[in-house]
Amino acid sequence: MESNKKYWKGLEEFNKTSDFVESNKNEFAEPLPIEDVLNEAGLSTVTPRRDFLKALGFGLGAVSLAACQPAPIHKSVPYLIKPEEVIPGVPNYYVSSFKGQSILVKTREGRPIKIEPNPNAGEFNNGTDAIAQASVLDLYDVSKLKTPVLKNDETTWSKVDAFVSSELAKAKASGKKIRIVSSSVYSPSTLAVVADFIAAYPTTKHVQYDAVSYTGIIKANENSFGKAVIPKYNFNRADLIVSFGADFLGTWISGEEFTSQYMTNRNHKSLAKGKMSRHFQFEAGMSMTGTNADTRVPIKLSEQGAALITLYNAITGANLAGGALPNNVIAEKALKLAGKELLQQKGKALVVCGSNDVSTQILVNAINSAIGSYGTTIDLDNPIKRYAGNDAEFAELQNEMNRGEVAAVLFLDANPAYDVANAKAFTDGLSKVPLKISFSDRKDETSTLCDVIATGQNYLESWGDASAYEGSYSIVQPTINPIFDSRQAEQSLLIWSNAPVKEYFQYVRNNWEKNILPSIGKTWNELLQTGVFSAPAKPAGTYTFSLSLAAVAPSVLSAGKALAKDVELQVYESAAMRDGKHANNAFLQELPDPVSKVTWDNYVALAPKFAEEKGIAEFDLVEVKGSNGYSIILPVLIQPGQARGTASIALGYGRTKVGKAGDNVGKNAFPFLSFSNGTLQYATTVTISKTGGTYELAQTQTHHSFEGRDIIREASFTAFKKNPAAGTGKKEEGHKSYDLWDKYEKPGNDWVMAIDLNACTGCGSCIVACNVENNIPVVGRDEVRRRREMHWLRIDRYYSYEEGDKSISEEKEIAHMENLDNVTVVHQPMLCQHCDHAPCETVCPVLATTHSSDGLNMMAYNRCVGTRYCANNCPYKVRRFNWFNYWNDSRFDNYLNNEFTQLVLNPDVTARSRGVMEKCSMCIQRIQAGKLQAKIEKRPLKDGDIKMACQQACSANAIIFGDANDPESEVSKALRSERIYYVLEEVNTKPGIGYMTKIRNTDSLTTIA
Amino acid sequence: MSGHNESILREPLITGRDITYAKITSDILEPVENKPNRAWWIGFIAALCGATLWLVAVSYTFWNGIGSWGLNKTVGWAWDITGFVWWVGIGHAGTLISAVLLLFRQNWRNSINRSAEAMTIFAVICAATYVVSHMGRPWLAYWVLPLPNQFGSLWVNFNSPLVWDMFAISTYFSVSLLFWYTGLLPDIATIRDRAVGLRRKIYTIFSFGWNGNVKTWQRFETVSLILAGISTPLVLSVHTIVSMDFATSVIPGWHTTIFPPYFVAGAIFSGFAMVLTLLLVARKVLGLENYITMFHIESMNKIIILTGSIVGVAYITEFFIAWYSGSEYEAYAFVNRSTGPYWWAYWMMMTCNVISPQLLWFKKIRLSIPATWILSIVVNIGMWFERFVIIVTSLHRDYLPSSWAMFYPTWVDVSVFVGSIGVFFTLFLLFLRVLPSIAIAEVKIILKSSSEQAKLKQIKEGHLDKTYVKEYVESLEKFDSVKQEDYAKI
Repeated sequence: MESNKKYWKGLEEFNKTSDFVESNKNEFAEPLPIEDVLNEAGLSTVTPRRDFLKALGFGLGAVSLAACQPAPIHKSVPYLIKPEEVIPGVPNYYVSSFKGQSILVKTREGRPIKIEPNPNAGEFNNGTDAIAQASVLDLYDVSKLKTPVLKNDETTWSKVDAFVSSELAKAKASGKKIRIVSSSVYSPSTLAVVADFIAAYPTTKHVQYDAVSYTGIIKANENSFGKAVIPKYNFNRADLIVSFGADFLGTWISGEEFTSQYMTNRNHKSLAKGKMSRHFQFEAGMSMTGTNADTRVPIKLSEQGAALITLYNAITGANLAGGALPNNVIAEKALKLAGKELLQQKGKALVVCGSNDVSTQILVNAINSAIGSYGTTIDLDNPIKRYAGNDAEFAELQNEMNRGEVAAVLFLDANPAYDVANAKAFTDGLSKVPLKISFSDRKDETSTLCDVIATGQNYLESWGDASAYEGSYSIVQPTINPIFDSRQAEQSLLIWSNAPVKEYFQYVRNNWEKNILPSIGKTWNELLQTGVFSAPAKPAGTYTFSLSLAAVAPSVLSAGKALAKDVELQVYESAAMRDGKHANNAFLQELPDPVSKVTWDNYVALAPKFAEEKGIAEFDLVEVKGSNGYSIILPVLIQPGQARGTASIALGYGRTKVGKAGDNVGKNAFPFLSFSNGTLQYATTVTISKTGGTYELAQTQTHHSFEGRDIIREASFTAFKKNPAAGTGKKEEGHKSYDLWDKYEKPGNDWVMAIDLNACTGCGSCIVACNVENNIPVVGRDEVRRRREMHWLRIDRYYSYEEGDKSISEEKEIAHMENLDNVTVVHQPMLCQHCDHAPCETVCPVLATTHSSDGLNMMAYNRCVGTRYCANNCPYKVRRFNWFNYWNDSRFDNYLNNEFTQLVLNPDVTARSRGVMEKCSMCIQRIQAGKLQAKIEKRPLKDGDIKMACQQACSANAIIFGDANDPESEVSKALRSERIYYVLEEVNTKPGIGYMTKIRNTDSLTTIA
Repeated sequence: MSGHNESILREPLITGRDITYAKITSDILEPVENKPNRAWWIGFIAALCGATLWLVAVSYTFWNGIGSWGLNKTVGWAWDITGFVWWVGIGHAGTLISAVLLLFRQNWRNSINRSAEAMTIFAVICAATYVVSHMGRPWLAYWVLPLPNQFGSLWVNFNSPLVWDMFAISTYFSVSLLFWYTGLLPDIATIRDRAVGLRRKIYTIFSFGWNGNVKTWQRFETVSLILAGISTPLVLSVHTIVSMDFATSVIPGWHTTIFPPYFVAGAIFSGFAMVLTLLLVARKVLGLENYITMFHIESMNKIIILTGSIVGVAYITEFFIAWYSGSEYEAYAFVNRSTGPYWWAYWMMMTCNVISPQLLWFKKIRLSIPATWILSIVVNIGMWFERFVIIVTSLHRDYLPSSWAMFYPTWVDVSVFVGSIGVFFTLFLLFLRVLPSIAIAEVKIILKSSSEQAKLKQIKEGHLDKTYVKEYVESLEKFDSVKQEDYAKI
């Protein structure tokens, strides 16, 4: 009810006296003496008593305002006309693809900030690799060109187009050759553009080469089965895998996909069904895949051929000459065992080999044929199209250039001045080419030698498509307007070939609507929503190898013999740096190698005993001299598991013109490659000599054994089958525990995690995903050396050694061991355990770290004064301190020290200032966003609504996150697994992260022996 | 002032034959009332250089961040908290001397308490600088105080040993300052009465109107006793709480119940060593041999043997318990201490703290000024290493071997520590110049009863047992400030 009561201020109002009526018109009953104050009388004005407080208030206010420092000015431009689809603060997701892998790009206010796997991408694309995760940083790379370049001067596109068109016309008129040099192109539209260009300039040929080549496999399949392809491998259908130096979980062909396939037979779900595949690895260097193998046998590079023949003989009963490893008895025994098991597992087995030698791969084909792999674990009818490089064609190009037959050369996603075996010969030849054009986005080793740099674009700014497998297509769509005055290469090619459709977007759309969409019955808009389509896969045919190995086996053996002198060097791709194209990506440079944990450098890996024999210690600088005369000086890393007599050096380092972060990091190993038998060879012989100096590598882990501590719990598959809780240390009746602490309710959710040690391969894509999601600073080599890397999530890698039937993991005992070849490895992702009884929380003097009611250990950065007591008291050592202002300090110039790169920051996560502690927040911003979404949709949270960045990136599904209060959630089920144990549970920290035991389906090497 | 004579069996606390009240005043005030000598200047300039180094290093740290120290993700404290605990420990002797010995009526404290208390205050200042400078955001250091605030009213964490520490240190500092200053009042009044001009005005202000009448003296005695009562528990509590910074954690090597008594003993041990380091020099340079006698030196050496042995027992107990507990982490932490990469620090600690003080069992060494002085420094080196060993070797290899790391100090770490010694000596040398280094009034109290000349008078009066006299005379042999020939005929 409305009140009609009226209160009067006084009798004057009640009586409505004329004085009152008059004065009530004014806001203030009495006139304000403003005029008096402002007139010339100034300070001599009489201030009425009743104005005293006003004057006082004004004075105070004015003084405090004047005392305020000018606040820092942050320019923000509001949307004058708000784009329909953009709501500030709400991310938009777009499908795209990166290196053929279908992805989702998360954008905020028009900025791509995170790569996530595309849920439509199919069974085995449930994660992304580290490079895809890091690729957003490439977009915001300050080292990129801002305009096109003509004869080393910045210029405009019209000038470039005029120049290039006239020069190409001249080349065409001269009838000389035009060459497009690219790494493998598997984009149907790009290939169509190239075809159109060739139509316009008929002397053009498209030369594809890959810095890391798979020509050997392609040639071998052509030879064996008449199909020049890389087949599709089905690791998920293989119960027994034998790999010869193929790092198929990491760098070999399609690591993240193979990881996902491989783990379906090894992860907790498979183990719950009592099933686990078996994996033999024979290799020289310790690869990430080798660290995951059940039985890993070091063999020299020169022994690989003989090893394959031994295996072939063991399977087929044939008697090819050279099938023996007289100097490696254990390997021979292991090979015979593998052969026996392969026969038992016929049709469910797979043999792969990392070699690029045609003969070797033919031999592998023969073995696979003998064990019935074709049609089951190997599918030649739906081949992989990501690598189509032809080493011989590229070699021929050099000859053509040297002969002066080439009038123009265009470099599309290719940097041969850096990444070919003989870059000097190539650049010499290149200097004889009149017109050189690069589509690089920066002045790199090759583009600096070019007349024109038609500044290319990042894939996040471009249109495009990809076909990673035959019949499988994905789209690339731009998620931001081109940042600089750049133009994607296809667009340039269309303009120069004077194609009828010059807009590449239109071109891609036309191409899809004409050639692809009809065959799969979808529309363009559907494509833009789902991002990926596959035509129904063709049935995989069975192929039988029927050729003679009479010529193959001797060729393989002689190649091996040629290697068997001095030190056998393996050049390999490292997990983060690969072929060096992303060398300027600071996230990747600081991603520790999965095995050696080295960042920011490459090195010579030597076996411990071999180094001892040669009198070389860790971090000694050695000169590595190749048979071709190339030599580099690199530090030595002692790598357990490395075959004695061999050395390994990673490719992708030693770039000289890539940008602030990547220049002169490590040394270039490409010149150690050699060209023989029509393909590039990644093994060679070198001499190694000490130079006398030392160089400390920046490692994130420097102690490599777990000292027999309970933190790693493992069991053999045999023991696991008898008792699923084997190795967890669980007793029949649980022991009584006592607690001094109060128990707090967790009424809503209880966020926890389960980590499957059997599934984690150690690849590190979770680390990069975490870096990108949580704005984790990159600190650079010196700071990593000082052990100050900031990663919230790390992967601990421990070596232990087999001796007899014992596993030795204590430093002191290891020091006395004779044989260090029998190394086993475990990877343990380690992050904040969100302990219910967190030791960090009790010691913070200012309550900057506290516990939430949903089980999270939280950090209030603003409250932190930086005593570091919490980090000291953390038994897991997962807290990270901001020793410096990493994002605004000229000493850390390789990451965020400029406003442009700062655009990569996730606006949902505070960038931490100096002097503040930080750590894994369990992606609290994602939890909040998920809760909000559920609230908006008026429904309870579902399991799987919220995913951690690390969990999302993991191809192996090793990380399971969810609500422990929901007994049906995936994580609750996982935590009920018999295999669960908690790291350091005896400290009674009550961690929120359970680990599942590492299971090895193994006979230890000694039992083989 | 006691009218009766003290037993002849007690050794004199003041030596010299012609000591009068006036002479005490002028002897002690000699450095305060005159221009400084060369020795002082040399010392002061050296100390000032150190203080400047400290200023440079701390400013460098504030400007660039804690990253300029050698700390890392595994070792979050090293030289900073080592320095902090070291300084707090040193401070302890001052309080023990001024408070506990007062309550126990140990009159020999009267000659050394002033300097010892000054040392306490300056040491606590040095420790406090570490509290602030080791913080990541030192400008927010006041957040550890439970102050009313506008941040949604955020409170401190009373569970955190650092908050207890903050209370302990600030209480300790205020009580020590109060006690020291109260004791100074009659002496400042003495300076005031002898000074002229500006100095007189200044000392007038600082003497708080001391007039020396009976009532003032009576109140002075009462206040001293009350403050001594308040300070006494602090001797035990402060270092107990400091030790809880470690003892309440979960880190092997820190998580130890023996820490409180062990830290207190260690603190007294290092504090007495520091008093000796300072007073042996001051005694010589300022010519105070008559007031700080061999008796004082020997007494302090005895305390050093006692506390050093307690500390030694604590070290061994820790080892025994590490083995006896059956905890592999604990056991490893201790094996690692003695044989790991920091073995040299551990054995440095063992040698300096446990083995070398045992030399003081020999009377000859106990009474040798050079030997005592060297040992006093050795003890403090050892005590620094003790804290380094506890902090760094426990942290650098704790639970997960993946995070094991080494700590390497930078020039800034070293400069802050060396600089803090400079700050300490700057303050101490300034103190010697402006305030009496020995409590004048308190020494005068014992002149009539416990001085050499009082005892000589007793002997001359001749009512004493000859054997007692003989024993007394023999006890004088160790005094370098006694003219031995005077007693030749007695």
